[in-house]
Amino acid sequence: MRYYFQLRKQLNMQIRILTLCCLGAMLFTLGCGSPPAPTNTLIYGRGGDADGLDPTHTDIGESVKVIVNIFDKLVDYDEETLDLVPSLALSWETSDDGLVWTFDLREGVKFHDGTPFNAEAVAFTINRIIQPDHPHAYDNVIPFYPNYEGIESVTPIDEHTVQFKLKHPSATFISNMAMFPASIVSPTAVKIHKEHFARNPVGTGPFKFEHWKTDQQLVLAANDNHWRGRPTVDRVIFIPVKESAVRVKQLERGEIHIADNLPPSEVDELAKLPTIKIQETEGMNVGYMTMNMDKPPLDNLLVREAIWHAIDRDRLIDVAYSGHATKAVSMVPPTMWAHHSGLADREFDPEKSKQLLAEAERNAGVKLPIKLQLFVMAQPRPYMQRPRQTVVFIKDSLERVGFDIEIVTNDIRQHFFRMTQGEHQLGLAGWSADIPDPDNFLYTLLDLDNINDDGGNNLSRYRNEEMHDWLIAAKSELDVEKRKQLYLKAQESIFRDAPVLPLVHTKVRIAQRKELSGYKLHPSSMVRLRHSKITP
Amino acid sequence: MWRFLFIRITQSFVTILVAVCLIFLSIRFLPGNPVLVRFGQHPVPAKIEAEMAKQGWDKPMIVQLGKFLKELAQGDLGDSFERPGERITDQLKERVPATIELTFCALLLAIPLGILTGVAAAFWHTRWPDYAAMTLALIGVSVPVFFLGFLLMNIFSNMPTGQRLPAWIVLDFKTDFYLFESILTGNFSMAGLALKHICLPALALSTIPAAMISRITRSSMLEVLSADYLRTARAKGATFFRVVWGHALPNAAIPITNILGYQIGMLLTGAVLTETIFSWPGMGSYLFAAIEQRDYAIVQGGALMIATMFVFSNLLLDLCYLWLDPRLRVEEIS
Repeated sequence: MRYYFQLRKQLNMQIRILTLCCLGAMLFTLGCGSPPAPTNTLIYGRGGDADGLDPTHTDIGESVKVIVNIFDKLVDYDEETLDLVPSLALSWETSDDGLVWTFDLREGVKFHDGTPFNAEAVAFTINRIIQPDHPHAYDNVIPFYPNYEGIESVTPIDEHTVQFKLKHPSATFISNMAMFPASIVSPTAVKIHKEHFARNPVGTGPFKFEHWKTDQQLVLAANDNHWRGRPTVDRVIFIPVKESAVRVKQLERGEIHIADNLPPSEVDELAKLPTIKIQETEGMNVGYMTMNMDKPPLDNLLVREAIWHAIDRDRLIDVAYSGHATKAVSMVPPTMWAHHSGLADREFDPEKSKQLLAEAERNAGVKLPIKLQLFVMAQPRPYMQRPRQTVVFIKDSLERVGFDIEIVTNDIRQHFFRMTQGEHQLGLAGWSADIPDPDNFLYTLLDLDNINDDGGNNLSRYRNEEMHDWLIAAKSELDVEKRKQLYLKAQESIFRDAPVLPLVHTKVRIAQRKELSGYKLHPSSMVRLRHSKITP
Repeated sequence: MWRFLFIRITQSFVTILVAVCLIFLSIRFLPGNPVLVRFGQHPVPAKIEAEMAKQGWDKPMIVQLGKFLKELAQGDLGDSFERPGERITDQLKERVPATIELTFCALLLAIPLGILTGVAAAFWHTRWPDYAAMTLALIGVSVPVFFLGFLLMNIFSNMPTGQRLPAWIVLDFKTDFYLFESILTGNFSMAGLALKHICLPALALSTIPAAMISRITRSSMLEVLSADYLRTARAKGATFFRVVWGHALPNAAIPITNILGYQIGMLLTGAVLTETIFSWPGMGSYLFAAIEQRDYAIVQGGALMIATMFVFSNLLLDLCYLWLDPRLRVEEIS
């Protein structure tokens, strides 16, 4: 026993020495002077990293946030509205038949690598998208090719004039020129870096690309010679932070200046803090449920109507969006011209639902309960901020009236891939506008042209010949009032046939530190940081 | 000895080769096609065909495997499918150091902690230190890392929440071993920052290995402590230090090294959860994302890297056995 006492005594001593050592090491670490943090650097925290920064070859939102700050386009959106204003093009005119567009270009603009911006650069940029075997398009994935395929040719007339010839008149041509894939790239840099241009982008924009370590940081530096004037901040650093709860913490502590893509309830909590400001704008988006009309019994209107009546979308907005969304009736968001506000909604009415199902059982031999698979994405999207809660709410609502729902969860890309193949019966989906035009919702999401096995965005496989004619006519109609009438009729058809159940239009919200000013959330959701200013 | 080494190294290479071939084939049997996935909501049939041909996926599986092995022999892992223009070797150069630093720091915490608590538990068997240590070990293995991560962030609210260095530091290091490099180059303020950033993730990551080591140490120490030679040592008046560290622990070390080797292997393959919470750009999150996106090229390259690290950490371990247990040396030589 004495032996053990002795041992323990020795042990106590050793433990004391060890503790002292540990404390010493900790003090040493924390006592180390750290280099001072730069005051004029904007740090942008977001949920993921970019995939590539070549505007031609990406459709990932996280890439676009960076691209719009490195590149300029011929035309751009106004600071606050969706009106188009001159950017690299000073002015433009259209021929009477709407087939020829001539752009007058800004002079004296240089790319970050010193290459002069001119008509050749514009032709080079657009040709990379539209020419099938362009020698300098190094990747087959050109996601926005369909938006530009109506361009027949781009011809430089002189150094500062460029002419576009279209295959047919297009109402959306100029909007497409304001979209990020039409960002003008430096031909020299593309030729030097080839497929690695995606990691060495060179444009004319307010910020120059500095360096990028995937999943660590992406650094942009102010372009001293930007034609609009030098941005106020010296640097912008994008950091990917997957967990939204961590982004919230970092914002609270001032480690980042902006946190985007946060769940609505977290934003509400942040709004209570004195150091945080919340910005919000009506999003141009729709979250909806697709009903695959190729899969019986969803080909039966009664069943689709029953689904519509079974779901209380007002409650859904409380449950899954913390109240920050607008109930959708049409696929076209209310912020967009040609939104149909006169559709009488099919109200939430579970009894009616049951009656409709009973009728379907009597008339069409549908067997109750109806077994259906409901596809859902694993990751949140601006229009589907809590996919899990949404899908459970819908499953619960539908099972109350006579459905038997099986939830199928997939990674977001797999989710959309499987749905474009028509594997689903029901599925949660959504769309954020590429351009502020109803064509981008109605034609893209519900026209019969967009049903094919290589993937098409008409997930409900809705075939309406009459509506197809209207949508095609509206594409080339240049009179806005006539287009509007066509789109209103299309929305009425869609409502009548109910191939989709529009759920919500959401608001886009970001949380930022109060010391950051000058950055305004744009209705197009473009993240343009050139006016940002940090006041320590 | 040399013969043993030669055999083990040859075995290692065969293991790696088989593992990589298996991964190559198995990922191609998963449902989902990376090309179609990349086209996402904007598919164009002609372009899809062109891309399939470019990647060589219209060819039979065996041809694809042959091409892959040939490129591999030339040291080329290719580009990522999902992120065009991103070289996989460049990525591995960034990811592996991040993982190694994190593993190193986690083990720096886990090994002393595990062994100390294990020894204490064995020494005071069925007394309070034993119960305390084993309760801690139980908590260590069973607390979900997600929960622990957030708990640590809230407790140590003055510590950074993630990343390897503060976001505003523009990373211009020669290697991607930020911590090691700044210590070696004498840039101690930077090393301090890196150390501060690695603390919480390393702590979160160390709990499971520490708990495992602690339990194994306890049980193998218990076996050893009751041995006759230790009673003799005590009778001769050996100090605690000599008894435990000089005689008991080396004899109990083989099972501990065994579990340690396994744990190192596991840690080097990356810790998806810890990396996700603390935004740590290591192997785990890289591979996890690649599997999710069916980025075959990265999965293959990453699997190769992991198999290599795993096999070589095991090889090192075998050498450790030889060093720890003279009997093994004798057997090998004879």
